Amino acid sequence: MPTTAKHTTIQKGFGPAIISSEVKNHADDPFVIKKVAKARETLKRVGLPDIKKK
Amino acid sequence: MTFPVKLNDYWMKLKRYNYYTNDYQAYEFYSEGPKGHIRKLVIFTKVPDTEPPIYNLAFSDARADTGELDDAVISNNEDRDIVLATVANTIATFCDHYGNHYIYAEGSTASRTRLYQMGIAGLWPEISTDFDVYGLKENDWQAFKPYGVNYDAFLVKRK
Repeated sequence: MPTTAKHTTIQKGFGPAIISSEVKNHADDPFVIKKVAKARETLKRVGLPDIKKK
Repeated sequence: MTFPVKLNDYWMKLKRYNYYTNDYQAYEFYSEGPKGHIRKLVIFTKVPDTEPPIYNLAFSDARADTGELDDAVISNNEDRDIVLATVANTIATFCDHYGNHYIYAEGSTASRTRLYQMGIAGLWPEISTDFDVYGLKENDWQAFKPYGVNYDAFLVKRK
């Protein structure tokens, strides 16, 4: 996977991500683990929306 | 690489930062403003034991001193709309690669969740045409209303 030098530019409109091997996965980051655990707890309690209510 | 999604024309007017990924689940971009150059991360993680699959969206600054993720930081970099438009772009890009799954988002605090709500409300013309959005209120999912209700969490699914 190529490494891309990251720099900030402001774009207009919708556009794709730039591939960079410098971006880490972060799935094992304590912050992410905590957020996912909280989401799991809430979703277990409330489930998904009843689409008919829309 | 061809980009398969054609979102509505509203998106074409929005400013966003360019954003980076290695696996289409973790995204990184840099906020630019009076407070400087702030690294931001958006991370999609499948919530265990959900069927249909639901992905959690974690959005955070990376602390300049340690690199740790911390969404308690209020950066006030005067670019909220650009930041939120960039996050919306990451959602669409994630859906391109992993499918139009439900995406769950909740701030670490009530005020942070309120900030997310203001962001969704501010981009409502763009978001509502391409995404179904639900807000969690009193343990019940409701069709998102941009104003008048304070939600506890959000669920987004691309149409």
